[in-house]
Amino acid sequence: MIDKRLARWVFLSTFLVVLLSPAVALAAEEVAGEWQSYVAKAIGAGIAMAVSALAAGYAQAKIGSAGAGTLAERPEAAVWVIVLQALPEFIVLLGFVAALLIVQMPVTPA
Amino acid sequence: MSPEVATTRQRSAPAGGDFGYSNARIRGMRSRLLRRDFLDTLIEGTDIKRFVQELTDTEYGPDLEEALIAGLSASSVDTALKNNMVRTFQKVLGFLNDEAEVLVTTLLGRWDVFNIKTVLRAKQMGLGHEEFVDGLLPVASLGPVDLEALASLPDIKAVVDTIVTWGLPFASAVREGHAAFLQSGELAELELALDRYYAEWAASRLKGRRVNTRIARDVLQMQVDISNLVMTLRLQKEDVESIDASRFFLEGGAVVTAELYDELVKMSDIDEVLDRLRGSRYGRVLDDVAMLYLEVNSIAVFERALEDLLTRRILGLAKGDPLGVGVAISYLWAKQNEVTNLRIIVKGKAVGMPIDRVRKELILV
Repeated sequence: MIDKRLARWVFLSTFLVVLLSPAVALAAEEVAGEWQSYVAKAIGAGIAMAVSALAAGYAQAKIGSAGAGTLAERPEAAVWVIVLQALPEFIVLLGFVAALLIVQMPVTPA
Repeated sequence: MSPEVATTRQRSAPAGGDFGYSNARIRGMRSRLLRRDFLDTLIEGTDIKRFVQELTDTEYGPDLEEALIAGLSASSVDTALKNNMVRTFQKVLGFLNDEAEVLVTTLLGRWDVFNIKTVLRAKQMGLGHEEFVDGLLPVASLGPVDLEALASLPDIKAVVDTIVTWGLPFASAVREGHAAFLQSGELAELELALDRYYAEWAASRLKGRRVNTRIARDVLQMQVDISNLVMTLRLQKEDVESIDASRFFLEGGAVVTAELYDELVKMSDIDEVLDRLRGSRYGRVLDDVAMLYLEVNSIAVFERALEDLLTRRILGLAKGDPLGVGVAISYLWAKQNEVTNLRIIVKGKAVGMPIDRVRKELILV
């Protein structure tokens, strides 16, 4: 139960962070000066990257644990286990893209 | 003293509530359970030699090779099948997480009761060690060494004293049951004390509101219900009015409460009992075999139907929460079922039982 709640929480927070961090950076840029914009963008990009990496790590830990169990009994499923183990990397990639977009937003002085 | 073996078992299990590893592993093991058509091949095989050949390429291969060193016989094949089951159960218990281990060992506790009862019955009948030791299944807290030790004791008193000395959970129940047995001379007193203790002990270990605890408790409650129902049906069949039926009631069932039990045992015949149970989770299966009961006139028909219902229910747990304890419970039951079926086939081959009769005896749910 705790695992499911945690997984749901991680998924939702990742989703929100990836969606909202560019918005936060944009909002900060509108009300702040040039250097504050850089800081806000860096924080937004950092959050997007960090949370998505943590979420991917959590997912990979779970998949890795189940994968180890599968391989102990069915070594022939190794390819499938590796593919499944790599899937959560997409979460990090999305976070990375979001972070990149945030960082590359043009800075407009207030 | 070996009960400690169970508590100090070397475990490399994941801690806490991580079911991912154990359930994935169990699913892998489940994929190696024998299929129905393979069982058909075994049933239709000509003799035990053919049976062994077919099984050599399966999970049972290593156990068969080991047991057959002593020579090919129904007994050695039976030993190999039993060893495989014991080994599999120990393996699963070795990698379950802490939560699942408590739940599963509680449910497996019924095998301890079964084994102790078997030893006690054998001692009362004066059977020799070799005559009953094959029937013991060391899959719970009592390991092979413990059961060997109990089986080699000379009489019931020695068995009771040893269990008390070992300080097993069942010690107090066995001691009380033994006192009652000495007074009445009925071994049923001792067996009843064991059953009652197990039901209470298991219920106390399966308290709580966690999903996995609820799953295990549901299984236990069904077992208790079935035990009570079979008892009421037996009392109906025997039509014994002088016996205090409430003595045989086991606490902890979900459907068969003490009130319903009293009501059922006071009914005039089995038809009335079936009518009263209609609408409950057991009503339909009992109705389905009512005609068969009239044909064969044996309570075993109802007993088998209820056991099949329990097995179906437990096997269905594998389709529930993929990260829950149901996967492990379901697999262990499926494995036990498979080994029971294989042992039936071997025994059938050994005594030349007709194929149709063997098929009837198998537990195919």
